[in-house]
Formats: sequence, structure tokens, C-alpha cells
Amino acid sequence: MSKILEVKNISKTYPGVKALDDVSLELNSGEVHGLVGENGAGKSTLIKILAGVIFPDKGEIFIEKKPQKFTCPLDSLQKGIAVTFQDLSLFPNLSISENIMTSQNIEQKNLILDWKKINNLARNAINEFGINIDLDKKLGYLSVANRQLIAIARALVHDAKLLILDEPTASLSKSEINILFNSINILKNKGMSVLFISHKLGEVLSISDRISVLRDGKYMGTFDKNIIGEDELISYMVGRKIHYKRFRPNKMGDVLLEIRKLSKKGSFKDISFKLHKGEVLGITGLVGAGRTEVAQALFGINIPESGEIKIEGKKVKIESTSQALRFGISYIPEDRKREGLIFDKTLKDNIVITILNKIINKLKLIDDFKKTDVANNWINKLGIKPPYPNMLMSQFSGGNQQKTVIAKWLAFDPKILIIDEPTHGIDVKAKSEIHQLLRDLAKKGIGIIAISSEIPEILAICDRIMVMKRGRIVKKYNDNNITQKELLNKSIPMSNK
Amino acid sequence: MKKIFQKKETNMLIVVIVISILITLKNSTFMSIENLVDLLKCNTVVGILGMGMLMAIITGGIDISVGAMTSLITVIVGKVLVGYQVNIFYLFIIVSICGILLGSINGFFISRINIPPIIVTLGTYNLYGGLNIYFTKGAWITNLPKYFVDFGQIKIIGLPIQVFFLIGIMCLTYFLLTYTLVGRGIYCIGGNPEAASRVGYKTKNILIFVYSYIGFISGIAAVVHTTIVKQVCPNAFLSGSELIVIAAVVLGGANILGGEGTVLGTLLGVILLGIINNGLILARVSTYWQQIIIGIIILFSVSFNILRSKNIEKEMFKIDVEE
Repeated sequence: MSKILEVKNISKTYPGVKALDDVSLELNSGEVHGLVGENGAGKSTLIKILAGVIFPDKGEIFIEKKPQKFTCPLDSLQKGIAVTFQDLSLFPNLSISENIMTSQNIEQKNLILDWKKINNLARNAINEFGINIDLDKKLGYLSVANRQLIAIARALVHDAKLLILDEPTASLSKSEINILFNSINILKNKGMSVLFISHKLGEVLSISDRISVLRDGKYMGTFDKNIIGEDELISYMVGRKIHYKRFRPNKMGDVLLEIRKLSKKGSFKDISFKLHKGEVLGITGLVGAGRTEVAQALFGINIPESGEIKIEGKKVKIESTSQALRFGISYIPEDRKREGLIFDKTLKDNIVITILNKIINKLKLIDDFKKTDVANNWINKLGIKPPYPNMLMSQFSGGNQQKTVIAKWLAFDPKILIIDEPTHGIDVKAKSEIHQLLRDLAKKGIGIIAISSEIPEILAICDRIMVMKRGRIVKKYNDNNITQKELLNKSIPMSNK
Repeated sequence: MKKIFQKKETNMLIVVIVISILITLKNSTFMSIENLVDLLKCNTVVGILGMGMLMAIITGGIDISVGAMTSLITVIVGKVLVGYQVNIFYLFIIVSICGILLGSINGFFISRINIPPIIVTLGTYNLYGGLNIYFTKGAWITNLPKYFVDFGQIKIIGLPIQVFFLIGIMCLTYFLLTYTLVGRGIYCIGGNPEAASRVGYKTKNILIFVYSYIGFISGIAAVVHTTIVKQVCPNAFLSGSELIVIAAVVLGGANILGGEGTVLGTLLGVILLGIINNGLILARVSTYWQQIIIGIIILFSVSFNILRSKNIEKEMFKIDVEE
């Protein structure tokens, strides 16, 4: 069988992380090739290199046996590689048809545009999906799922030999996934190769012919889908058979937080639960199920319309973040980069930011010695590496950045800690360290609400688990003796719409 | 029908019409042909510059050096006309080249050195303004040749020639923004800069194009301005003209954060500002009120646009809650 793409010995280093380490990969023409790996395994880096967005430090790329050097995204497009990125790279301010046709216009150097032709071609591309939308509408009005389809339609417009899909199903419902898989099969029958990146193994196994695994930036091998099973794939992805260490439930203390019938239109409905001292309460479900919205309601960002919140038995209203802080609630958002840290400040600046009022001197100015003291204390306790308080935040690895966000809130000494995707985009070792850390904190009497899409993680660290779907809590488990499968089935919407 | 009313331009047009009616009720000379033609002529320069500013604002940038740039080129216009008696055609070629050069300096610093446009153009605003004063010492150039003054008096089907320059620049800008790859790239950069380079746009080159185009437009505006005032006063055009231009573009519905804005909207913004200035005088409102009213209109109309797009955004991020 002829090879459409060969990647040989590619390496890429970022400050603090070796994103890709001597990775090689081969794709046959006309195959659907799955690429799996945990967050931070290097999948996205590899795709960006193939797309010509970033450049490898070392290594070679061959397309149909010819060596290639991509210096910009257009290069890779012209060689027949079309990519849909995880963030979609679409333009909310432009019409849907223009979004579909933009890269095509650039590739064909259509300096003067023929709008009639553009609209027709866009219409044809979108018809392949069998969905009906007004193409003159601005893309900004579309749901995330439909945007995903638009991004793929854009890639399809090119006569690409290789289509790369980066986490295309992350925000799709089951029926939408079916539509997507049908179109992938149509493309495959036309002779196109597809590189399908996902961390949902079930999907990868059902759509791919062969599957390659990356772990911590290293290539672990390529396997035929008929030979390898899900368990074996997981063991290649994480390097050992068992996923995470499951913790024994702590002894639960008094009720710390009680929520009754919390609702907000367009966010969530009838949310009721209790959080005890010393427990980790897990909330899982798909992205867009309303999990983050509930967390933000407790932190005074997304103010609920009805329902009540009780903290240690007292009825309270939380209408701003400063009120939430006064009640001892802290919230660690999913997006470290934008919401969690100040990247161009130093480690110590980031740690002390929640307690600036406690490190001032007699003149009410910030005392740099106290600042360093406090910072060093947390750096030691949490094992942040390298332990340099004056190093810029952006130079730390993902795991150490996450530890810093946690340190920053621990310095504040919260009663309730809400943490959204606690180990998003960090390596396996740092993950288990953070799991251990969260357990230790719970043991000390803090009530923790952990939101995560990673079901193994939820099972590993939580005492009790709630599943959210379309803005509601659909299932509560009072222990963590559930299988991954059951939990996953509960969180997928079964609609046929 | 519904679609027409959803457009920002329609709202603007309604506002323009209502204000015109109000002013006419106070003073019927407002609606006289002479007054309207005069109004149009007086605002051509702001209109022409507005088309360039529109492009910068769509990319998410801004150019506060346009006033200084135009002013510097009017001096060049005066010097070549008086010193070399060049004909009108060559004059336009000279000012275009000068404009593109001055504008591309902005473009270079913005795209290659990656300095925010407001800082770069703040620098060139001072640089060009300073060069202007240095070379002219503030002296006026008054003895412009007769053929040039005559050129400025030409009327075609009753409309002054200056208006046709505005129409020409509008058509050119509309064509560039709507029917060319570069023009769509300008909208892409404003909407999602990272995605723009990922789909293959050479965003740096597009930015250089945008700021050079503004330079080119400033060149044309300099000639048009000179035909209207029939002399060159080096520092007269510097003060505040860029702010009027920016106000007109923003009033016309362009999003200062980038990605949105139209030629028609900008024209309506210019007309609205013109009508308010002219109409308030005719309606015998004290001139002290003019600026106050313009300020209020800017605040209200921009708030209206922002609140509306916020509402749309709210709808978008809704979770489909199971009832």
C-alpha cells in the first residue's frame, strides 16, 4: 500500500517541556488513522507541525515519498493537507459560506471574488452533511456543534489528500457524531486519508483502521484496530495497566454547603446537592452540560435566578466574586492561561495575589520579604519545580502552573475549593501528584468540588459523584464504585435531534 | 424586510432622516439644494479619510496620524503647485506616492515590529506634524496657480467635483473590501487574527497594505482639501480632524474591536456628523451645544450597538436545558 504521509524523527521542545521526542509516523493512503494520547501527549503539537503553523526542531516530513518543508499554513494546504483545529479557527464576524470558502480562495489565489460561485460551492460542501442552515448568517450565531461541522466542511472544500481532524467530537452529540462518521467514511471511500485525533478511545476504535499512540511526546507504536483492544490502548497511553490510584473515601464531616433548586435560564435547572467537610464531590458530564455554569454560580460570576444557597447552615446570597471570597469559596478555572494565572509575572507574584492584604508592611506597602517567604512556603509544600520564585510563570510546565494556581488559592485558606478540570493539559505524573494533593486537602477538612470530563479521574479522586446533562443533574452516586462505562453512558445525551 | 431592519445602516438612516426633519421644521433653508450641496462639499474630506480609517478599524487597529499625514501632504501640494506648476494628473501621482510612503511607515512598525497601531500612529502623528512645521515654519502658501483653483470649481451635473472624489474613493474601498481576497482578509484579521494566518493569509502584508492605503487616501484628501480652501495653511488641519474621522466611522457602526464595519455605514456616520454641525447652526442652537450634542450621540449610538451584540452573545452561550 502506498504511503500518503511519513513523519520521521520529529522533535519539538518548548520551554520546560519536550512536546515531541523523536516521533515517527506513517499513514497509508485511503485509511482512517487514529491518533490517541492523553492531554499533553503531543498530539496537538504534531498536528500544528503538519499544518505548517509551527516548525519542528528536528526531523523530516514526506508526502507521497517527497520530502517537504512547510514554512507557512498555505504550504501544507497546497500539498494536500487540510486541518480542522480544536479551536476551529473560524471567523465569527463573517458569513457561514465565507467561512467555508476562505482558505480555498486563498489557495486558489482568487484575488477578485465571485460571490455567486462562493455561495454555490459552500452550499455543495455543506450538503454533504445533510444539515440545513442559512449560509448567509454570521457564523457567530451558530452553536458549537454546528461550527465544528463548518470547520470540517471548510477542509472538505479542498481536494485534500489528507484530512486532519483534531478532537472533532469534543462538543458533538451522539447523532452529530454519527453524521460526522458517515462523512468520514464517504471521504475514505473517495480515497482520502484521515488522521483522527481524539482521546475518546471508543470513537477512535470504531472509526479508524489503524491507531497510533503518543505518550509524553514519544511514539508508542501503531496498531491494527482488529488486534488491539481498549484496555491495551489505555496501557500504552498511560504506561501501566491501571489508570489512577483510587482513593479510599474520607470520613465525611458536617454539611458545609447546601444548594437547593438552583436555576438559571439558559445555564442550569433545579440543581440541588450537599457538600460536606472533608469530601471531594465530583461533577462530570460533557462539555456544555452546565457544569462550569454551576461552579460559576457558586463563585458569584453567573448569578442564579432562583433557588437557595446555604453555607454552614446559613442562607446566603452570592452576587459577586468578592462576596464568594468572604464566604471562603475559591474557584480554579479550567483555562489556566487566560483565567488562572498572570503569565508574564513571576511565580511568587502569582502565588501571593489572593493575600496581598496579608503581606503588607507598616506603611501599607507590599513587603517583598514577606512575599518571598509566603511563596517559598507554598513552593516547598506543593513541590513546584523548579523552585525559583522569581521565574516567569510562562516558563513553567503545565503541571507546575496548575500547582501554582492551587497554591494561590490555598494561601487564601478557603473552606470550599471548586476546581474545574484539575489536570487539564498536564502530564501523567503531575496528574497523580495533583490527585494526591486534592485528597490531602480534603483530609484536612476542606470541601472540594471537582469538575472533570475525564471519567477515570473523577472515579479516582471523588467520594461522591454527580452527572450533569443538558443543564440538570441526572444522576448522583454516593460512592465511587461505578464502572467507567456506566458513568460515560449517563453523561451522553440520547437525543435524536 | 426583517433583515433590512436588523442592519445597523438602516437604524442610522432613520436617525439621519429624523434629525433632518427636526432641523427643517426649525429652519426650512436646511433642505434647500444649495445648503445640501454645500454640506456635502464641506464633508468630503472627512468622508474620504473615513474610508481609510474604516479599514484600519476593521482590522482592529486605528490610525490617528491621518490628520497630520494629510496636512503634511497639503504642504507638498502647495510647494509643487507653486514651484513647478505641475499639471493635475501628475499632482495626483505625486501625492499618491507620498501618501503611500508615509502610510507604509505606519504599516512597517505595526506589522513587522509588532507595535500596537495606536502607539505607532501616535508617533507618526507627532513626526509628520513636526516635519510640517519644521519645513514651513507655519507660513501659509496662498498664491496657488489659477488652473488649480479653477479645477476646484468644476461642477458636474450640478455637483462640485470634490463630491466625485468621495464617490470614487467610496467605490474603490467598497470594491476592495467586498470583492477582493485582501479585503476579506482585512475582515478575517479583525475577527480572529490567529485563524487568519492559519487559513493562509499573510497577515503582516495585509496590515502594510491597509496602512499604505490610508496613506494613499490621505494624499487624495490633501488635494481635495486644498481645492476647497484654495490655499495651504500648514497647521490648520492638524487639530482634531482624526478624532472627527474616527467618530464618524464608529458612529457608522464599525466595531472598534475589529471585524465589523461598512462603507455605507461610514458614509452615514459622516453625514450624521455633518448634519448636526450644519443643522444646529441653522436651527440657531448656540455653537457651544454642538460638541455636547455630538458627544451624547456618540455615547448613545455606540452603547446601543454594544448592548445589542451583547444580547446576541448571551443567546449564543445558552445551554439547551432540558425542561
